[in-house]
Amino acid sequence: MRSAAILDGTIGAATQQAQALGGFLREGLVGDLVGETLVFYHDECDKKRLVELAPTRAVRLIKTTARRPERMVEILTAVARSEGISLFLFAGGPAGTELATRLAYRTSGAVLTDALSIEVGPERLLCRKNVYSNHMVGRFELSARPWCVSIDACWKDGGSPTSLAHHILSGTDETGRIGTTPFEDLELVDPPSTGDLAESRFLVVAGYGAGNREGVERIAEAARRMGAAFGVSRPVAMNAWALMDRLIGVSGTRAAPALCIVVGASGAPALYWGIEKAAFIVAVDPDEQAPIVRNADAALLDDGVAIVEELAEIIAAEVLR
Amino acid sequence: MCFKVTPDFEALREADWIAGAAHGVETRYVRRILNCFDESALEMALRLSDTLAGRGVTMGLDALSVGGGEAEPYLKTLYALGYERAARVRSEASLDFAPAVTASIIASYVRQVDHSDLVVLGCRSGPGDSGTVPFLVAEKLGWPCLTQVIEVEPLTDDRVRVACMVDDGLLRVTLRLPCVLAVGNAVVSRLRVPTLTDRLARRHKRIDVFSGADLGVDIARELRREPCVLAGLEAIHRARQGVIIGGETPREKARVLFDSHLKSILEKL
Amino acid sequence: MHLSREAIVEGLQRILEPENVITDEQVLRESSIDRYRLFEDIHGVYTQPIPAAVAMARSAQQVAEVLSFANEHGINVVPRTGHTATEGGLETAVADSIVLDGSGMNQILEIDTYNMQATCQCGVPLQVLEDRLREQGVTTGHSPQSKPLAQMGGLVATRSIGQFSTLYGGIEDMVVGLEAVFPDGTVTRIKNVPRRAAGPDIRHVVIGNEGALCYITEVTVKLFPYLPQNNIFLGYTLDNMKTGFEVLREVMVNGYKPSVARVYDPADAAFHFSHFAEEDECVLLFMAEGPAGIAKATAKGVEAIVARHPECRKVDSKFIATWFDDLNWGPDKIAQEREEIKQTGNICRTTEISAAWGSINDIYENAVRRIVDEIPDITMAGGHSSHSYINGTNMYFVYFYNVRDCEPEEEVTKYHVPINGIICGETLRFGGSIVHHHGMGKARTPWIKDEYQSSYYILETLKSAFDPHGIMNKGTIIPK
Repeated sequence: MRSAAILDGTIGAATQQAQALGGFLREGLVGDLVGETLVFYHDECDKKRLVELAPTRAVRLIKTTARRPERMVEILTAVARSEGISLFLFAGGPAGTELATRLAYRTSGAVLTDALSIEVGPERLLCRKNVYSNHMVGRFELSARPWCVSIDACWKDGGSPTSLAHHILSGTDETGRIGTTPFEDLELVDPPSTGDLAESRFLVVAGYGAGNREGVERIAEAARRMGAAFGVSRPVAMNAWALMDRLIGVSGTRAAPALCIVVGASGAPALYWGIEKAAFIVAVDPDEQAPIVRNADAALLDDGVAIVEELAEIIAAEVLR
Repeated sequence: MCFKVTPDFEALREADWIAGAAHGVETRYVRRILNCFDESALEMALRLSDTLAGRGVTMGLDALSVGGGEAEPYLKTLYALGYERAARVRSEASLDFAPAVTASIIASYVRQVDHSDLVVLGCRSGPGDSGTVPFLVAEKLGWPCLTQVIEVEPLTDDRVRVACMVDDGLLRVTLRLPCVLAVGNAVVSRLRVPTLTDRLARRHKRIDVFSGADLGVDIARELRREPCVLAGLEAIHRARQGVIIGGETPREKARVLFDSHLKSILEKL
Repeated sequence: MHLSREAIVEGLQRILEPENVITDEQVLRESSIDRYRLFEDIHGVYTQPIPAAVAMARSAQQVAEVLSFANEHGINVVPRTGHTATEGGLETAVADSIVLDGSGMNQILEIDTYNMQATCQCGVPLQVLEDRLREQGVTTGHSPQSKPLAQMGGLVATRSIGQFSTLYGGIEDMVVGLEAVFPDGTVTRIKNVPRRAAGPDIRHVVIGNEGALCYITEVTVKLFPYLPQNNIFLGYTLDNMKTGFEVLREVMVNGYKPSVARVYDPADAAFHFSHFAEEDECVLLFMAEGPAGIAKATAKGVEAIVARHPECRKVDSKFIATWFDDLNWGPDKIAQEREEIKQTGNICRTTEISAAWGSINDIYENAVRRIVDEIPDITMAGGHSSHSYINGTNMYFVYFYNVRDCEPEEEVTKYHVPINGIICGETLRFGGSIVHHHGMGKARTPWIKDEYQSSYYILETLKSAFDPHGIMNKGTIIPK
């Protein structure tokens, strides 16, 4: 059975796409497939680099015009009809959702977006994805081929793509038959920033247990050395031991970091709400009964300032180098 | 404007998320809310209409919900807010995990009843969260579509200026009508509230209720032909471990924490 | 006589560690108000005099020293713990006040499951106390909607009441003993006894004083067994409030004590119960709890009473149970609410009153009709009864309006004050009380003399006796 991963070089997020696709192909896909990557590029792309990023050895290069998803769908539809590919894999995101959906419609195939994992069967594709606003995982069966699947955003955190010896199967130029576009006056800008706290991937939060302003400042410094963003609980902000813009929780910021270390905060609801979406929570608090201890993934029953300073040294030396 | 009324999933208790057969989770007992992206869409449409009214142009707003009686209070509210038409399409079967059928219904409604040249809806909604309905509607109508829209402004009679989040940033683009816009995390996210006087004034307006057959859509048949089918549900276990890290000194504890847990997380960041 | 702001700060820094005297601008602004001025707050407008400092006290001794200092120099002090007040009680109504914050005194001192008492400092959040108690199979029985954020000192100072009051009573029924500090620095302790008749019950000088007489530093409350496994929920829809009040009355008069007994009018029901109640329907709901036999008997008794009113249609209990689980005001609801108000300009306000059975329906009907007729931009006006007694019940008016054509700081005078006027006016006309449980604050003081009439003498004498220099929370309860 043949599959094709789509690497869309006409939009700027090629590295993330490649990482996601590579990770998914290695760990999210079960099944016997002969895979290739369709690399779309336009004039201004670094073609060589795109090929290097491709998550499979076999690569087909397709030249097209930038930001013309309707054109890409037409090209993919033709490929689907002529090449007998059973599975098309797209990186998650708005572009992937559009391409997967439209391609499935035009080829009378099946679409599934934001797949966590898939399993290839002889007749059906079994997929898992989050449903009910991420409260449950749904198992879906796709029957009609081609199966058009976009992968969940969680795969973006996959490791760096492994380098492969690539082999270019073909290169085509599809810029000739462009046609008119409904889009005019395109302008790409950087997305509005929502602040370092909301976007932080690694966050240290200091609570009232820091003791005083000096304790809070030492924790802030340790956070900086660890390469983490720094936030505080409401009592700390209200005490003016740190600025109000560092406030995490109610009337402050809600963060969703991969790693959150909470120091000297008991984890009362007002603060915990601000960090409960963190993937991994470490609590540092001397009180074993504090709610934060049982609501964390790991806990250290000790003085917060000393622990984070030791941790900062280790991380600075061994991770940040 | 298409919207969906869903159960308030956040109001369910941990224990209610029971993994079971493919018929879904019991959500009958929680209150209903507007899907948040649809709510943005409904308010953005009102603001579009306000802007055009300021230029002396009237824009008629039609609201459609594919669903049962739970949509009625919202349709009444939309009338009170000045929507011209508020309708719903009922279905015997649940269309929760049937985006293709939902899209069929919407497209048929637009072609046969509504005749709008701008369709606005939320980019996705629960419980399925597929995000595919806007594009399927666009395919059926043969119109362009943009998703993750966060701003819309009317430009001319037949063009809108749209801002949307794309994979590599924020894109501003002018789009010719007719088109489909799927609203994402827009800044405008809450629907305005009508006064009791407004409600009283529009109390007489009728909510049209259609069946699939009225729109030429054989819902049962399309459901049978749905190529993507829900086979089962699994619970997500989120209870945290609360593992206590041991050690004699802060340095030892920090070392254990790093080696056992943090190293692998940090290397991925 | 009057100290400058700097001199006040210096004086405080001599009593408390400097880091416990906060003069950060934004903190001071936010400390000049409470939820009464939520609309202004959301728009970053602060119209009340900015306090000179927020003083974080860590002990009753420090509270005593700060109060003495303020008393000596005539400085207004606003006592505060959880900062969830809704009636302006925490507003710093005069210039250069001191906000005396006890949220740092957050230790649970003792949990005694033999004598069924728990003692804690004023800064313990009720949720934290409850979570700890439930682990040991006991509960305070106190569950106001502000539970996740409110703290013990404030809960006692405002005579708060919780969702299960029909069984457990209000805070006044739960307090055993307490410690309070008076403006001249006197620290008083009322000991923990089950009952006594050694003169008037002086706890009631402190309970509900809203910081106008003294500062509560420690509280002991009763404990009850925690038996959630025996909870029974009952729900009904019906088409008029009069019948709803009648049912509540019969339940109380016949001697039943469900922990929850409520009736929602159609407007309020639409917000909570539209998934099982029609547009023009009221909702009646009950919860019975306690030892299994009592819970069952209570539920049975209630069902029999409702059955005598055939217009009540029973609904699946699961609707009520599910609704109950999501009721409290946690941080996510508060954050969402701010967002909604900012975007839509639509705000929800409440005013709760109490009255005899014979008057409550008239008060409800008149007030709602007048609000709709007389106040502009109303988007909803209705309410529910949620705390019943053998001799009457409360009415919790809920109303929403769009704030139009006025500055943020004008919202209160354009809408909230006139609406309060209508509700309080109708209530007083029928002999009810203008405040059931949120506290007088500063919001309803215009009507205090009508509320108290001749008994105002007792209230104002207490004030002049305990706070002769008028430094305790000026404007709260006793108008400025």
